Amino acid sequence: MAVAFENVTVSVGGTVILDKVTASAPLRGSTAIVGPNGAGKTTLLLALLGQVRYQGAIRVAAGAGGGPARVGYVPQRFPFDRGMPLTVTEFLVMGQQRRPLWLGVRKSQRERARKLLASVKAEALENRPLGALSGGEMQRALLALALQQEPDLLILDEPAAGVDARGGVIFCELLESLRASCGFTQIMVSHDLATVTHHATHVIALNRRVIAEGPPAETLTRETLTALFGLHMGLVDRDAMPGRQTACDCRRREAPHV
Amino acid sequence: MFDLSPVYDLMLRLMPFETLEPRFMRQALLALALLAPMTAAMGVQVVNFRMAFFADAISHSAFAGVAMGLILSVDPGWSMAVFGVVVGLAIVAAQRRSALSSDTVIGVFFAAVVAFGLAVVSRDRNVARDMQRFLYGDILSIRDGEVVFLCFLFVALMAFQALAYNRLLYVGLNPALAQTHRVRVAVHQYLYAGLISLVVVFAVQAMGVLLVTAMLIVPGAAARNLARSAGAMFWWSIMIGLVSAVAGLFISAQDWARTATGATIILVAFGFFLISALAAWLRQGQPR
Repeated sequence: MAVAFENVTVSVGGTVILDKVTASAPLRGSTAIVGPNGAGKTTLLLALLGQVRYQGAIRVAAGAGGGPARVGYVPQRFPFDRGMPLTVTEFLVMGQQRRPLWLGVRKSQRERARKLLASVKAEALENRPLGALSGGEMQRALLALALQQEPDLLILDEPAAGVDARGGVIFCELLESLRASCGFTQIMVSHDLATVTHHATHVIALNRRVIAEGPPAETLTRETLTALFGLHMGLVDRDAMPGRQTACDCRRREAPHV
Repeated sequence: MFDLSPVYDLMLRLMPFETLEPRFMRQALLALALLAPMTAAMGVQVVNFRMAFFADAISHSAFAGVAMGLILSVDPGWSMAVFGVVVGLAIVAAQRRSALSSDTVIGVFFAAVVAFGLAVVSRDRNVARDMQRFLYGDILSIRDGEVVFLCFLFVALMAFQALAYNRLLYVGLNPALAQTHRVRVAVHQYLYAGLISLVVVFAVQAMGVLLVTAMLIVPGAAARNLARSAGAMFWWSIMIGLVSAVAGLFISAQDWARTATGATIILVAFGFFLISALAAWLRQGQPR
């Protein structure tokens, strides 16, 4: 297990947001946390990141080097002043380079930033102002920033939000191949059930407490979904879709390996 | 304590202008050449991370700082500096812990320090007259001891800007993300707050409470209009701050002008801002 939540409880001003959550995320897997609005999905991530106080324990396995796990984080919203003069290269260098940016970006750092952008298929963004990026481009820049940490644990909050369906599919496939090549453990919050079914290897169904946990096909049953979202909720039946495609069908490509 | 006479003699030899003949003019020039780059450099973060209100609260703590000095009978110049730093650090500590919004926290401190200053000052009419000096400031009456302190502060602050500029950008953009990505957020926030408080308190003596925030934000705002990268913004800001300060000092001393130095400096900086705004407007519509 890469991460184990043990009886994690978070309450703010007397309201219980998470109630004795016990769940885990398998090493090198892709874990999705699903649930309705207000289920405490983001709060669980924030507890993992140490940004909110909680009772209980969160155990994170040691990193590849034996030290504490290195974490890369891709937030859902990244509110910042879009008029600020800041290039994408500077954005990727600011956490790495010692020399102040007003003395220029080192050649080696520029090269590194270029490689990172290439790894998220965003080479063209190098010299663009950060404030001029679209939602999908910003998400890639943030993913590149997170990958720069060479993370053992990559945490994403609603990676498909604010991006159109096609963009969502491409981003999912990108994550899938990065996970295969970099070997990180991925944990994401998502409300997009199609993405979850075809992309995640492990699901935590959350509504203040854990409703169900396990592989997607076994976990996202009609009973669980009804318990999570109420009546009339079900997954899209792949056979009913043209060409048997769903929004993020990453598993199809993997099938021969199974 | 320190004799800066050789420095002033050298200045006159290098710049044999009639305006600089009185010693106080050279003192003021030296002080401004130190102070303006500091406020302009810190102004980059103030403008990018919307901290103008924070700077305002510190500058208004000057009254309370002076009042504190009078109560404890210590030099108001120093009590002001210590008080300003304490208020700056206290605001950051409260912001980090409180669920209230940042501007509310600052507003509460702002009100408290102003009220405290006024309460003490209102007890004594003579003190009230002294306070005028802090409202409008007077760079021409700066003392050698203060200039020497400015030299030390200049070195410390520029070293900080060199070491922390990149990480401050990270923290300013998103503290939670910076924290997760192993940037020491609290250290950067406290150091920045402490240093900017010191700079503001010294700038109050030169520019006055009313105009000190302008020293921080006007060069930064103009720089933001002109720069296309975070690196360039630093240099634009310093250049505009420094040129405005020197030009303002010279203009204010001319017979045809005879204006308050602090106000003149800000007017020159505002001129740069107008030009930069025009440049930004012309650039809009062009592909970046």
